Amino acid sequence: MFKLNLKIALRNLWKNKTSSFINVIGLAIGLAACLMLLLYVTYELNFDKESKNSENVYTVMTNIPGDNGKVSNTFEGSTTALGPLLKEEIPEIKHLARMNYLKKALIAVGENSFKKLGKFAEPEILKLFDYQYIVGNAATAMQNPKSVILTESTAKVLFGSTQVLNRVVKYQDKEDLTVSAVIKDLPDNTSATLKFDYLMPWAFYEMVDASAKELNWGNFSFVTMALLDPNTDVTRVNEKIDKVVKTHLEQANQPYFLYPLSKLHLYGKFENGVNVGGDIEQIYLFVALAFGILMIACINFMNMATAKSEKRAKEVGIKKTIGANRVSLIMQFLTESMVLTFIAVIVAIALLEIFLPTFNNLLNIKLSIGYFSASSWMWILGIVFLTGLIAGSYPAFYLSAFNPIQTLKKRIKSGGILAINLRQVLVVGQFCFAIVLIISTMVIYRQIQFIKNRPMGIDVNALVEIPQDGELKTKFEVVKSQLLKSGAVKAVSQSSVGLSHRGQNFMDVKWEGMAKPLNTQLFNQVATTYDFIKTNGIKLKEGRDFSKNFASDSAGVLISATALKVFGYTNPIGKTVTIFDDKYTIVGVFDDYVWDSPYQSNNPVIVFFDPNRTGTITMRLNEANSIAQNIATITEITKQVNPAYPTDIKFLNSIYLEKYNSEKTLGILSNLFGGLAIFVSCLGLFGLVAYSAEQRTKEFGVRKVLGASVTNLMQLLSLSFVKMIVVAIIIAVPLSYYAMGKWLSKFEFHTEINWWIMLLAAFGTLAMALITVSFQAYKSAKANPVDALKYE
Amino acid sequence: MIELKNIEKYYANKGVKSYILRHVTTSIKQGEFVSIMGPSGAGKSTLLNILGMLEEPTYGEYHFMGEDVTAMKERQRIELYRNHIGFVFQAYHLIDEMTVAENIEAPLLYKKIPGAERKSRIADVLDRFNMVAKKDLFPNQLSGGQQQLVGIARALVAQPSIILADEPTGNLQSAQAEQIMDLFKKLNQEENITILQVTHSEKNAQYGNRILTIEDGVIKEDVSVNG
Repeated sequence: MFKLNLKIALRNLWKNKTSSFINVIGLAIGLAACLMLLLYVTYELNFDKESKNSENVYTVMTNIPGDNGKVSNTFEGSTTALGPLLKEEIPEIKHLARMNYLKKALIAVGENSFKKLGKFAEPEILKLFDYQYIVGNAATAMQNPKSVILTESTAKVLFGSTQVLNRVVKYQDKEDLTVSAVIKDLPDNTSATLKFDYLMPWAFYEMVDASAKELNWGNFSFVTMALLDPNTDVTRVNEKIDKVVKTHLEQANQPYFLYPLSKLHLYGKFENGVNVGGDIEQIYLFVALAFGILMIACINFMNMATAKSEKRAKEVGIKKTIGANRVSLIMQFLTESMVLTFIAVIVAIALLEIFLPTFNNLLNIKLSIGYFSASSWMWILGIVFLTGLIAGSYPAFYLSAFNPIQTLKKRIKSGGILAINLRQVLVVGQFCFAIVLIISTMVIYRQIQFIKNRPMGIDVNALVEIPQDGELKTKFEVVKSQLLKSGAVKAVSQSSVGLSHRGQNFMDVKWEGMAKPLNTQLFNQVATTYDFIKTNGIKLKEGRDFSKNFASDSAGVLISATALKVFGYTNPIGKTVTIFDDKYTIVGVFDDYVWDSPYQSNNPVIVFFDPNRTGTITMRLNEANSIAQNIATITEITKQVNPAYPTDIKFLNSIYLEKYNSEKTLGILSNLFGGLAIFVSCLGLFGLVAYSAEQRTKEFGVRKVLGASVTNLMQLLSLSFVKMIVVAIIIAVPLSYYAMGKWLSKFEFHTEINWWIMLLAAFGTLAMALITVSFQAYKSAKANPVDALKYE
Repeated sequence: MIELKNIEKYYANKGVKSYILRHVTTSIKQGEFVSIMGPSGAGKSTLLNILGMLEEPTYGEYHFMGEDVTAMKERQRIELYRNHIGFVFQAYHLIDEMTVAENIEAPLLYKKIPGAERKSRIADVLDRFNMVAKKDLFPNQLSGGQQQLVGIARALVAQPSIILADEPTGNLQSAQAEQIMDLFKKLNQEENITILQVTHSEKNAQYGNRILTIEDGVIKEDVSVNG
């Protein structure tokens, strides 16, 4: 029976090539889109879950107290003193490792030197994560303080091989480290604090950095991770931690707590110290998108199948009279849809393989089908099965319910009122979804444009920065004058952080006439020397930049316009502010510039004068020369002064572009899948019109003989479809207006939803549908009536 | 075998009842070959459909092999289709996507007859109808008469006790029609299969041994034929 069903299903597919093609392609696109999004979702969901202990690995989070006993900020980070205390007092902690955040540092073998992400950690990190050792092992890898664990690709870059046990690398051009192990590269979905290129023991960190050695409660530049006993209740442990910390530290008003490391990536948003979701919302959105597109394709299938019901009805009738019951008929129709889905899956996987590289490029990630594990393949199989079921069930149940005598007598009126309505409802639903996606895409695009066009307060074009490493710290003035003399740059300045940065916030500010006893506004600090304003193209509102003509400038500060607003000075120049108990004189006020998120107003900035706090050199290129020429000159000069370090020149405009990344991802995805949704919907519409035209061939023939024009006939055929699109528009427009309004309200700076976006989306869809419909309508309206009437 | 008592069929349209059948009472015995005749719209096909349980009478009693059909559930009806009733249609109603052999096999599949027996029965029927060479052709590759032969073969293969034929030769040329009617007669006489046919043709009616004439939904005549 099954074999025969299968055979007949294949014959049916072959016979109705147009509709099979539409169904297979539609379903394949739907499935491919669905699989691609699921791949992305799998990738995101498996962040930091590579290790077998991953669910018991926790990282220490710190709450920063704000006003009214609330928590103003929560971040992953802790102090050096916390780790040893926890290890001693909390028995539930099996292993604990202190570490730093990643830092790009120089690592070299002979002349072969690279800046790579290095990490320091206590040896127990090897118990937290089960790294795959190519050479060496976990027991010996971190015994010797002056040793280093390389990842496979780092080893290959440095040595050209992974068999490099006990070979020597040079760290930061100073220290010789012995390679104690080489491990497999960490997966791409490893969180940024752990994705090192090489790993060094904490003991060595204590040698090179004094801040690591002292047990300190004030410096939060470290990360502490712990492996808990699998049966431990984390809330209990966190209560204990609170108590332990308070007994050891009277002024401990910064509660620490353990948070599952593998959750941090997707549930990383905290409000008042409590998790309020995070990127998981986007994941939900993508899953919805994936199944939405699949549903559209399924709807196509259902519509085509029920539209053909008249033809199939006869078959149902015959089969019933020769003894078929409903179950066997349902099985037959389901077999048909399963066969179709199966073919579609094969096409979908091919599509996926073809377009995955493009998709990866767009989103700047590295996905491969390999991310699907055995269990995810089971899921995929389930999805395929479900798709077949959804696509086939409605036709199956609908068709199998036909009364044989009606079907054989051809009395069936294309399935009755209810069926027609359902088909219309489905088409309307499809187009609703597509229109909502189009409008969303346009709004997201406009929002990104709006943010991009907002004045940034700096001129990022022709602006580059390099890290201030090695000799560049001490010989900055020399390099500066050489660079200026070479004509490659117009202005150079050094600063403690790059123009775009995070953190660096502080609160200990007092000003003249301050009303509150304590300041609660976070300020951002930048330390620089000369030419800060000039190099970055910041607009000076009052006063002046730091100048060599004023020796007193070492106790001067520049403040941003919002900082001035906080202080409330009317004549700011010459007024003083007290920061960390030191008095500073305001020498200039500049317009605010974007240094953090471009979507919200950034904290006020105070710029200090301090030649010792080095970090980044920023240069304004001389646009009279070509960029390549300028870069070559800069590279040559810095190499000369600082031969040990490779020159790592970054363009500020690309750094600032990265700030739009997450919204860009959203934009790209909704763009891509919105387009696909429209395409698949139109494909379905095309199929329906084609079928409807075929059915009405005779009617058209008669009408033509009676004198109907081509236009009349086209109207006749198109009108009912156009009506459905109009209904879809009427539903989709307010829906998307509401949804996008909500999305936009997330942003402090946002664009407005214009009526013309709605109009454009509506007319665009209508036009697309009209083109689809008219193509078919014209074809059948132009047909010779004699051909039509010859039938029957 | 078949007992009809006071069968009525009407459609109520805007309060007006339009009768198709009125007070039809008759009985058909095992082994009879009955032809139902009458002008267009007289209710012949409706009667046949009611007999074939494809339509339900609005009123009246219908017993098939001693069982009350009106009280039957769909499942029991399907059992009857599988085991006792074979249908032959004017428009053949073969399944276009199946070959000749598959069309004939279909009822056996629904009857859940094992594969080996299916094969032998199909081979048997094909042989009897001289269609072995055509078994892998599709219906649209056959002439009308050949299609109707397949239709009858399909009805016969499940070994029914009654064949209901709605103008089986209506779409055929006279030579082919004769062939079909001869076949029916042979089946009736040699295998004792009850045959009920609706026909327009006086000549075809003569093949049977009883003629029911219906006019305006009422049985006008019920005569025996001595073929």
